[in-house]
Amino acid sequence: MSGIIDSSSIINSYIPVAVFLVVSLLMPPVTMLLVKLLSPRSKAAGKHSTYECGSEPLGDARIQFNVEYYLYAIAFVLFDIEVLFLYPWAVVYKGAGVDTMVAVVEMLIFIFVLLFGYVFLWKKGALKWLN
Amino acid sequence: MTDLMLLAPEITIVVTGLVVLLAGLFMSTPSKKILAYFSTLGCIIALVLTINSLGTSATLFSGTLGINALSQFFKLVFLTVTLLVSIASIKYTEGNSHTEEFYTLVLFATFGMMMVASAEDLMVLFVAFELASLATYALAGFEKQNPRSLEAAMKYFIAGALSGALLLLGISFVYGASGTTNISAVAQNADLLMSSPMGLLSVVLLIAGFGFKIALVPFHMWAPDTYQGSPSVVSALLAAGSKKMGFVAAFKVFIVALIGLQADWTIAFAILAVITMTYGNVVALSQTSVKRMLAYSSLAQAGYISMAFVVLTPMALTGGILYALSHGFMKAGAFIATAAVVYMVFKDDKKSEIPDHIDNFKGLGKRMPITALSLTIFVFALAGIPPTAGFVSKFILFSSTIESGFVWLAVIAIINSAISLYYYARVVKYMYFIPAEGERVSEPAPYVVALLIAVFGVLAIGFWPEPFVQMAMNAADVLI
Repeated sequence: MSGIIDSSSIINSYIPVAVFLVVSLLMPPVTMLLVKLLSPRSKAAGKHSTYECGSEPLGDARIQFNVEYYLYAIAFVLFDIEVLFLYPWAVVYKGAGVDTMVAVVEMLIFIFVLLFGYVFLWKKGALKWLN
Repeated sequence: MTDLMLLAPEITIVVTGLVVLLAGLFMSTPSKKILAYFSTLGCIIALVLTINSLGTSATLFSGTLGINALSQFFKLVFLTVTLLVSIASIKYTEGNSHTEEFYTLVLFATFGMMMVASAEDLMVLFVAFELASLATYALAGFEKQNPRSLEAAMKYFIAGALSGALLLLGISFVYGASGTTNISAVAQNADLLMSSPMGLLSVVLLIAGFGFKIALVPFHMWAPDTYQGSPSVVSALLAAGSKKMGFVAAFKVFIVALIGLQADWTIAFAILAVITMTYGNVVALSQTSVKRMLAYSSLAQAGYISMAFVVLTPMALTGGILYALSHGFMKAGAFIATAAVVYMVFKDDKKSEIPDHIDNFKGLGKRMPITALSLTIFVFALAGIPPTAGFVSKFILFSSTIESGFVWLAVIAIINSAISLYYYARVVKYMYFIPAEGERVSEPAPYVVALLIAVFGVLAIGFWPEPFVQMAMNAADVLI
């Protein structure tokens, strides 16, 4: 069965990859060189401070978070993930052989159960920030 | 809609759980007692619905769930255990501000177990398995102030998480080799599994995964600590319910899906069964904590039930499945009796370190006559003394083992039963032949009711086994 796979064509098919490799290796030094040559310099003190989205940096980066923060995080992730289930539902909603009324009721039940969880969190005080 | 009607018991359980959870938010602690009664009512309704649907067989939701004699039999086991636990917990959760969470977790765990019994797809089986496991992890650590309970929950969680990972890995290998997760379709593609090394790998991983839940030696390390540290009513649910879930899942996966690899896993189960029953019985001999002793005895019982995987005749499977029901009554009853004793001990001494120590059982026949008599019946049933459920199940299982030519296995099992009689009888000796050290204690009604139901179950199967054996035979027919 020799001949089906032409080894020279395999090597030829890697030429674009080689081009990419060379370009990607050249790109950073060239851009850095251009920046060095063209850009203006600033010598202000603020330049060496920590970048915090443009606001003034506040305190140390290594601080302890309140454990309740994790409760929030977990609750957020939970509800976030549950919303994922809405997506496949929305995709098949208009599909063939789907009774839209049943589909709506099923999703309402699902959301209602989620709401149960939310009410539970709320009443149990998991969303209250204590200090 | 017909699909939903067939799932009526499961829906009842889930709705009861959600209602209890939501209602509990708006109730004061003393009035939460009504939630316990409500959950018990939900269990009874689900139990009646399951009994009504015993003869039906159907597949639902594109073949992912199945209703048949096997699934309904095991649902019956889970629901009776939950009913016993639920009744006994009326007393246990009295005055606890987290009553609604306790009952919701119990009901969700039961729902997970019931879905495992119905699962016809490996992924559904895994998700249901995890649902039951997650709920029971939280239950094991229900006594937040008690370090033993936390230790129990932690060990159970770590072992359970590991077993879940192994199980999923095993399932993924089965899927990789056979190209499907449907249990009966895997069986049809058995030749693909056998021709690939992934088949053997998946058997090893699945035995380990289920072995943790069933607590087969050497995957048992968590079991004694968890059963001892958890609240007694939760231990009852774990030993009598959650363990049976492992068995029904293993029955489906090995005997239906992986029957092609039978030669590989029968040997593994033969070795595991012998080690498990011997280890469980020998270690149980020296225990001074009754809950720990019951935990090791529960290992031994798991070893007996595992013999069904080795013999693999319809009769042996009948024995194994009937054993699951009998063990549900006996073990749940024994743990609930311990719960009553723990209640008594805490009444005298709030700071007792090991409330289930065997010394606390001294003269129990005088102090708590109903509890003592029930516990006597349960331990004799666990030892296999006629006329109890334990005797009938052991008789069917052991005699079918001998009939199929596994005389050596039957001999080991019978020797083990003889050994076990020592530590069971020791409890009876403490209760009746050693003088009491305290006053007579009035037994709380919920414990008494739960114990009497369990005693009734144990004696009913013992005196009139025909209908139960017939049900177990129908269930075994689904497998083979």
